[in-house]
Amino acid sequence: MPVGRAKFAVILLSVSLACTVPPLLAKKRDKTPPSAGDQRRALHALNRLTFGPRPGDVKRVMTIGVDKWIDLQLHPEKIDDSALDARLEPFRTTRMSTKELAESFPDGQEINQVMNGKKPMPSDAALRMVYQVQIDRQQERKERLQEAAKNTNPVAAPAEGATMASGAAPDADHSATNAAMNHGATGNDTAADTNTGTTTDTSETTAVTALPAKLTPEQQDPARRREDQLYADLDLQRLASIPPEQRFKKILSMSPTAQLAFADSLRGGKGQEFLEGVPLKQKEILLAMNNPAGVVTGELTQAKLLRAIYSERQLEEVMTDFWFNHFNVFVDKGVDRLLITSYERDVIRPRALGKFEDLLVATAKSPAMLFYLDNWLSVGPNSPQAMGIPPHPYGPHGRPYPPRRPNQGKRPSGLNENYGRELLELHTLSVNGGYSQRDVTEVAKVFTGWTIDTPYQGGGFKFDPRMHEPGPKFVLGHRIKPKGEGEGLELLHRLATSPQTAHFISLKLAERFVSDDPPPALVDHLAKTFLKKKGDIREVLEALFHSPEFWDDGTYRDKVKTPLEFVASAVRATGAEVDDALPLIRQLNNMGMPLYGAQPPTGYSMKAETWVSSSALLNRMNFALALSNGKIKGVKVDVAQLAGSNPPNPPPDSTRTLAALEVSLLDGDVSKQTHDSITAQIDAAATNGAQQKQDKKTGARKPVDASRPPDVNTIAGLLLGSPEFQRR
Amino acid sequence: MSITRRVFLRNSALAVVGTAAVPSFLARAAMGAAQPGTRNKRLVVIFQRGAADGLNIVVPHGEAQYYAMRPTINIPRKSVLDLDGFFGLHPSLAPFQPLWQQRQLAIVHAAGSPDPSRSHFDAQDFMEAGTPGVKATEDGWLNRALRKLPQPSQKSAFEAIAMGPSIPRILSGVEPAIAINNINDFSVGGRNPKASPVANTFESMYDHSLDTVLQGTGEETFDAVKMLKSADPSKYKPAPGADYPKGRFGDSLRQLAQLIKANLGVQVAFADIGGWDHHVNEGATEGQIANVLHDFSQSIAAFWTDLGDLGEDTVVVTMSEFGRTARENGNRGTDHGHANVMFVLGGPVKGGEVYGRWPGLDQSQLYEGRDLALTTDFRQVLGEAVARHMGNKNLNEVFPGYDNQPGKFLRLLG
Repeated sequence: MPVGRAKFAVILLSVSLACTVPPLLAKKRDKTPPSAGDQRRALHALNRLTFGPRPGDVKRVMTIGVDKWIDLQLHPEKIDDSALDARLEPFRTTRMSTKELAESFPDGQEINQVMNGKKPMPSDAALRMVYQVQIDRQQERKERLQEAAKNTNPVAAPAEGATMASGAAPDADHSATNAAMNHGATGNDTAADTNTGTTTDTSETTAVTALPAKLTPEQQDPARRREDQLYADLDLQRLASIPPEQRFKKILSMSPTAQLAFADSLRGGKGQEFLEGVPLKQKEILLAMNNPAGVVTGELTQAKLLRAIYSERQLEEVMTDFWFNHFNVFVDKGVDRLLITSYERDVIRPRALGKFEDLLVATAKSPAMLFYLDNWLSVGPNSPQAMGIPPHPYGPHGRPYPPRRPNQGKRPSGLNENYGRELLELHTLSVNGGYSQRDVTEVAKVFTGWTIDTPYQGGGFKFDPRMHEPGPKFVLGHRIKPKGEGEGLELLHRLATSPQTAHFISLKLAERFVSDDPPPALVDHLAKTFLKKKGDIREVLEALFHSPEFWDDGTYRDKVKTPLEFVASAVRATGAEVDDALPLIRQLNNMGMPLYGAQPPTGYSMKAETWVSSSALLNRMNFALALSNGKIKGVKVDVAQLAGSNPPNPPPDSTRTLAALEVSLLDGDVSKQTHDSITAQIDAAATNGAQQKQDKKTGARKPVDASRPPDVNTIAGLLLGSPEFQRR
Repeated sequence: MSITRRVFLRNSALAVVGTAAVPSFLARAAMGAAQPGTRNKRLVVIFQRGAADGLNIVVPHGEAQYYAMRPTINIPRKSVLDLDGFFGLHPSLAPFQPLWQQRQLAIVHAAGSPDPSRSHFDAQDFMEAGTPGVKATEDGWLNRALRKLPQPSQKSAFEAIAMGPSIPRILSGVEPAIAINNINDFSVGGRNPKASPVANTFESMYDHSLDTVLQGTGEETFDAVKMLKSADPSKYKPAPGADYPKGRFGDSLRQLAQLIKANLGVQVAFADIGGWDHHVNEGATEGQIANVLHDFSQSIAAFWTDLGDLGEDTVVVTMSEFGRTARENGNRGTDHGHANVMFVLGGPVKGGEVYGRWPGLDQSQLYEGRDLALTTDFRQVLGEAVARHMGNKNLNEVFPGYDNQPGKFLRLLG
């Protein structure tokens, strides 16, 4: 390694001499050997532009040249990512359209439609089975509620959800596939969009508003039901003995009761023995029987984590995460469960390094955002729909309408300010952007009519003139002439090109890439670039990555990793092979950062104060130890190889192992405190060991664990849990 | 709700006087309160994140305007749990009814932050910093409240705790505070009471680290881990009748009660509950708000039952960043508003009364023509708890820039 490093240093020296060296770094280089400086520069770039360096990455970046590598990352289309694509191949739903998803993985609303006879059962037998289980479960739930209502006084337990909150409810549609979503959901389209800073843990309430009261004969007869249950259990037991490729067919032929029992057996991530070896598509259907939307969100979360770990287009993934978080939507708000796949894939990722205005418009029109911030329901108070005027082609603007009718129908008939406010506060101007409550209301009027065509069937954006508030709007001192959908586009253009927006976006980028409290001069410089380059995100990032502030000594390892960054970087650092990402996703839930699970529109914080706490540190240390000891299921780690002690090499002593791992996991830059602490444990073990040998002769015994020197895995765990690995 | 000594004494005190307005000295005498400072006083703050709809929580059912402005989401007069002929509890707050009747629960209506912001983020930030309108405040008021407590009893790592994965704004600051998500996972390298070698190594690493942020947190963490191991709070099971609902909030309060019962020296604690931002289909006696209110009140009532006699030294205060529009919006929900309702529960609370001046709901009485106006600053309520219950008289430091004269207190603590 030292030889190799020296060689690279020579190569790099010539490369960096050829290009302009940032002044601060040049200064630094006077003091330190050039190789160390360049290596540190490569490491810093990797720390900031990626989810952490993998073994060998620093060398690779040094070989290419740091600046050239940054430029490459800014142009992800030039980077081959076919290995990642192959990894993502099994996650079929990540490539499906929302319409396909809605059909194959029906939301509670879809099930209601079928139950209420508004839609027919699907003709496909497999799909019918999925629907039937959901319908049976709704029936069961209804019965239980009726039961509960009978047994409690009418005041205390009137509401379905109330009963559920007290623990009487089934864990409903939450399966292991969707482990990320264990923080619960508010099921139907009415879910809260709270700016909570925490996620709620309410039970699933995929509410059924109108259920057919009639029960099937078998449901009315408890004896018969018990008997059915018995046969269903028997069927289930036999299932495991059938070859995996025949199980699907068998389940398809079982009675509805047995199918329900099968679906129930998958609850909470159980029943994996039935699924092992079953062909992929069949497995998906079987999982969907238990939790349709869970299949979609489960695959989505796994794909996200795998992208963070394995994509070669790291900056694109970092920026996709950044923008998703900026334009946050919450996966457990009703049908957003099915909409987020397309939102990230079709709205965010393709524009992650594009023009801000394109991104803003695309999010404004995305069903996921329209649903999350309720805009799809917002209706102008003087719109044809609110006035109760029967549908007719959109008339001339400003036309006087007859007096308003009291709102009797079920249809929404008024403004909803939710999107208007967050658009100004979180997406563009920022909270200090100089707008008033009146502006918020006017913005809400501008966006009336921006709605979703059949949200539960996977429809797209639709401008509905009947919902649109007529007349001019006055936003931030500007008059917006009535022109239907065009009003919103005009406003979005104004917001996207506003200096306040430029400043806010620049600040957030600097917070992500430089420090929690970035220098104002840098933010100003970026904001100027943003305005000059018409919101070209790639240009702004380029300016950022070439700013002296980015390369300042003080920024090196200054950012505390978020849980996602920590988990992904630990897996990357160890070069681990992830066969199953779900256990890692559960770790993120534990650490308070479930993927796609930020309930408030602010998204997750990028700052240290949020992520440094007792709970968090303990979780990280425990995760580090579990990962390096191979105790995270589905993740294979070969620490011995990292330490260079694979057979036929003899296992080196602990001190040499430590030195080797310090290089491979932290690029050799480890604090004296961390190094000495681990060394102390090694030494203590050696002393104890010697002591114990002596004690053995005298018959006294020492606890075993204190005498064993920490093995290679534990040393790796200690390094991954060290203070320096918490930063990037 | 089992009858505790406190309740018994409280009721006998009432019996002596025969009126709701028991003089505080008499109540204290009847309760046989110990000398101030010899016992561990506790303040528990609960944040309803997302802006709870105070008008549908403590319902002004005596206001005709209320029903006029909320045609589809009002709580009908026949459904409210009447308190005093004018206000009534949402039916999902049934678990609060006995607490009210036993005069342990007080209500402050039309209370909150005077800042006009309707941004969740800013308004929560202001209320946690304790300085509405001032963004530069670096620490939270609950942390500052700890600073000058009269008798710093022996230092405990559990003095200030937040139930959750991270330290919230309200508890951040120079006083050590810990975040605890799950007391069973709060250790390194297994739950063996004997410290494991890896735990020692991690401790040494963090103790000596030059990284001040991580060093400080690390130190607090390892102190807490050791204390927790020796106190073993998991052996304290919920008291009979303390039925915590399933879910995050119930879990938080259940574990908080365990920490308090394990005598870990908890002085201030924080828990939060989300799910209040009902822009669409808020519901009325049933539906979204009913569900979250049930979780909220059942958890708090269970916590109270669970604390038993320890409740005598405990005050629980609830707050939310702002209220919601007095009128329902076009989607059978409500948008961001202004003043809200606060609950105050505890041993020294003079409960069974709605405090604060009711501003009314006529158009001319509404704030900016749309929201419930504010008549009680939340700092008045919290200031009283900090000064009179916790015994920290330095309110100028806890709530800088706010003239928190004791004369302004609502005197809801006995």
